[in-house]
Amino acid sequence: MSLTKEQKLTLFTNLVRADLYDKMMYRRMMQGKLIGFYHPIEGGVAPGVGACTFLNKDDNLNPHHRGHGMAHMISKGIDVRTFLAEHTGKETGCCKGRSAFHFSYPDHKVYQMSGFIGHNFAPCVGWGYAAKRRAQGQVVMNCSGDGSYGQGRAHEAMLMAQNWKLPIIFFCENNGMSIFSTAKEMHPTENISSLAQGFGMPAVVVDGQDVFAVAEVALAAIADARKGKGPVFIECKTERFTEHDIGTPDLAGWEDRTPAQHEDMRKREPVNLATERVLADKTLTQARIDAIREAALKEIEEVEAFADASEIARPSEEELLANVFAP
Amino acid sequence: MRTITLIGAIKEALAEEMRRDEDVFLVGQDVRGGIFPHTKGLIEEFGEERILDTPISESGMYGTAMGAAQEGMRPIVDFMFGGFSYVTFSECSVSTGQYHFLHGSQRSLPVVMTAGVGTGQRLANDHAMSIHGTFAHHPGIKVAMPSTPYDAKGLFKAAIRDNNPVMIPWHMGIMMLKGEVPEEDYMVPLGVADVKRQGSDVTVLANSVQLQNALKVADKLDGEISVEIIDPRSFVPFDMETLLTSLEKTNRLVVVDEDWESGGFASTISARVMEQGFDLLDAPVTRVCMPNMPVPGGYMEEYVAPNPDKIEAAIRNVCA
Ligand SMILES: Cc1ncc(C[n+]2csc(CCOP(=O)(O)OP(=O)(O)O)c2C)c(N)n1
Ligand SMILES: [Mg+2]
Repeated sequence: MSLTKEQKLTLFTNLVRADLYDKMMYRRMMQGKLIGFYHPIEGGVAPGVGACTFLNKDDNLNPHHRGHGMAHMISKGIDVRTFLAEHTGKETGCCKGRSAFHFSYPDHKVYQMSGFIGHNFAPCVGWGYAAKRRAQGQVVMNCSGDGSYGQGRAHEAMLMAQNWKLPIIFFCENNGMSIFSTAKEMHPTENISSLAQGFGMPAVVVDGQDVFAVAEVALAAIADARKGKGPVFIECKTERFTEHDIGTPDLAGWEDRTPAQHEDMRKREPVNLATERVLADKTLTQARIDAIREAALKEIEEVEAFADASEIARPSEEELLANVFAP
Repeated sequence: MRTITLIGAIKEALAEEMRRDEDVFLVGQDVRGGIFPHTKGLIEEFGEERILDTPISESGMYGTAMGAAQEGMRPIVDFMFGGFSYVTFSECSVSTGQYHFLHGSQRSLPVVMTAGVGTGQRLANDHAMSIHGTFAHHPGIKVAMPSTPYDAKGLFKAAIRDNNPVMIPWHMGIMMLKGEVPEEDYMVPLGVADVKRQGSDVTVLANSVQLQNALKVADKLDGEISVEIIDPRSFVPFDMETLLTSLEKTNRLVVVDEDWESGGFASTISARVMEQGFDLLDAPVTRVCMPNMPVPGGYMEEYVAPNPDKIEAAIRNVCA
């Protein structure tokens, strides 16, 4: 499936936005203007953008936790002002400031960000079941990292999705790292997607630094899933340029990742790669690219202004207790 | 009125609710074939789309229910034996209980969980443990347990129609207990206790099979000690008012619970009575619970678990 010029433009725009959102989050964490923790997605923005840009509003999405899902959510068209407000503990947050980073946007079928790695896998079976029963072509984009596939529930979900031919895309963002542990040590095969073979599930491996390549693969998988062909596994080979989360040392095993390693991975920075591509194939001019960047910066400024202008949420204990159960 | 078994009453509730609402479905292991009688035969009426058997994948099985509930459906998940819920505990307890609250009350999670629990079958710990106290410990999940066929039908219907997650185990020791059950639609509201027997000397708070044991003991002591018996029916929410009203009359309390003594529901109730009803008490609250050992299998279960003899001794002691 080759991409139209329009599609490339949208992907490029979302990629630039996702990257700048990440830089904003990084900056705010360093400034002490973010609560909880932050797991930067620098170097790994392309998979989420490629996976989510062409989803429909009523498709289910589990955003990967890295970058706290913003690359995914902005690509799906979610207004993330209330996300940042949530992440700063404000009343206007999407979860009324109660959740730290456990955001949810049920109207966009982003039902939960769990603090338990791998806890997307169990409910994704239920989303797939509901989608199949309703038979309206809804798909489930289930994004998570290489590390999350160590969880037995990942294997259970793949087993059941294939048994029941559910429209679930197992979208693995393999950055080769899980905190300090490497996928090389923690997973016995070169590709995480080899797991799919055991369940008879089709799988593809794609260059996760190339947003256009990811989108092509995702579009094909989404189309197949909509037609009822069952689950698909997509593995993106990507990178994590930074430490796991801000404040944690940047180790592989128990030793620092080396400058040579960093230099090597940074050769393939996803925004640079995409910029070269859109200039070379004349999708965009430098002037258009600059304008996209400017617009993204302005958008982010507004998102920050919204969060900063909002009040800190400090509901009474009584009010909180009254919200443990639904009416 | 006709009489049916407790397990038959559960089945009737499931079938009626599935008939009433297309979004209600059942997911479990070997429920199509009816591993326990309450699911047997449902497949014939509701088909494979709504009676789902999964592999031995408790997380995926529970996740089918959890995800579908997030999608607005009303799933019932059957763990077979209560201990098996622990295999997916982070999903069915932690994530489930926090769902509505943490996500800013945007969505509720109307999942019903059920499982057979309790002693009497000589199956030992992982197949015999109580789970209601553990679920009650985690905020955000309602917990109920029936002790009569009437309550079984009514509580299951209330649970299925509730907008919150509800864990409602049933005790294998009273699975075949018969009682009067109306054929029509009715609900037993969650959070309303039932005074099963009037008395004036001592209140016994007992649930499920132990409620049945307590009733036998009360009959035996009739004329000697007047025993009032309350069935909480639900643990979360708990009907404190009914208990305190009873204590105004009796001034003595025995809590019978098949869960372990340590950290169990009986401890919570004793503490609450201390805090809210200390002045009503003429004697310390007494508990009859599972001693703090893994539930043994074999024949020793009979004298280790709460039983009529232990309940009688506790009543005599608190009234002495
Ligand atoms: C159940 C559970 N175990 C461990 C953790 C701690 N933890 C947080 S992120 C993470 C690594 C996840 O790695 P991966 O899935 O590859 O995603 P990445 O962070 O590399 O993008 C771990 C172990 C957790 N949050 N939840
Ligand atoms: Mg990783």
